[in-house]
Amino acid sequence: MDIRFSGASVRYGERTVLQPLTLSLTERRIGIIGLNGSGKTTFARLINGLVKPTTGTVTVNGLDTVEDASATLAEAGFIFQNPQHQIIMPIVHEDIAFGLKNCGLKADEIERRTAAVLERFGIAHLAKRRVHELSGGETQLVAIASVLVTGPGILILDEPTNQLDLKNRRLVENTIAGLGEHTIVISHDLPLIERFDRVILFHDGRLVADGPASESIRAYHAVAGC
Amino acid sequence: MLNGLNIEGTTPLHRMSVRAKLAILLICGLGLYAVSSLYVLIPAFIIAALIYFTTGLSFREGVSRLKPILFTILILLIATAYLTSTRAAAESFFRLMAIVLFAGAVTATTATGAFIDEITRLLQPLDRLGLVRAADVGLAFGLVLRFVPDIFNHYQSIREAHRARGLKVRPLTILAPLIILTLKDADTIAMAIDARGFRRPRERLR
Repeated sequence: MDIRFSGASVRYGERTVLQPLTLSLTERRIGIIGLNGSGKTTFARLINGLVKPTTGTVTVNGLDTVEDASATLAEAGFIFQNPQHQIIMPIVHEDIAFGLKNCGLKADEIERRTAAVLERFGIAHLAKRRVHELSGGETQLVAIASVLVTGPGILILDEPTNQLDLKNRRLVENTIAGLGEHTIVISHDLPLIERFDRVILFHDGRLVADGPASESIRAYHAVAGC
Repeated sequence: MLNGLNIEGTTPLHRMSVRAKLAILLICGLGLYAVSSLYVLIPAFIIAALIYFTTGLSFREGVSRLKPILFTILILLIATAYLTSTRAAAESFFRLMAIVLFAGAVTATTATGAFIDEITRLLQPLDRLGLVRAADVGLAFGLVLRFVPDIFNHYQSIREAHRARGLKVRPLTILAPLIILTLKDADTIAMAIDARGFRRPRERLR
């Protein structure tokens, strides 16, 4: 993985959401922390081109997120804060197949890939279930499976354990820990983040700490005043 | 809630192909507009109601799904009775209700995925002529079916929030937050569809 920010900033009208930023991301597991409204989600959305930089550039494995938008989306999958928003079809199997169908794959290839990803995440028994019948943790796993079925090398997760009970939180945490893809996780779940290779702290749209998890988490406590 | 509008089941309508169901619905719709006899329209309404309520929907759920459209039909009924005659209003009522019930039965017995696939297939000739993007239209139809219950759930949450705060439930005070919530959802869903690679070329897959 090689993600590069070169003077990338985001402004909405007069409001600067993310100050100009220059850095590169290469580690396998990266955590993003910060208070609400600090610019974490904007930073993450810049990576797969869901948000375009107002100034500067962002490249993912050499692809510019603006000029090569479609290719960037294929490189970096994104799991939204509320996984229900990204689940389009009402049945688990149909939803996982959704992305593949739109790529024009043949039915047997779609079936093979869908079955493989269901097996990989241990959710094959949920294939025929309606999505609204799933627990929070299962819904999150379906969302992750539906993104990874198309084979992105990078997975960005926006607060993946938010609103989950302890059992479902463990389920999702263990799944994230076992992912072979490069993962970038935005989270307030510090026990999840503290095992990561690198943790970046944002505050008021600025990067204020970047380094080992323990140091960035210490800085986070200082920023939060607790 | 991601519950969609279709009900699982094994009724003849569930087993029928989506194309056949849509064709029958089209023929019934056109046919009902070609007649104005209450001797035809009332039996058509009764048959449609029987079909609708034997798709597996509970009576309560079935009626609840009809409520929003029933409101519109009642306004039309009153306007027609006032502007023309009671008989013309009755004809309109039974005709529209029969079509709505037939359409409701088709929706309840068709999986969203199958519906999207069929619409996309049917529009392929127009797609080849460059007149429409078949996949986009199919997805748009599917999204409507998929997210109508979500909008209804938003409406219920806002109504409950009004009651919890001791506020009177008024259409105007409900409409603004409902539109804002729906637009916000639509924005995120559009982003999610992009993120999930809708229209992603095949060569981009690993």
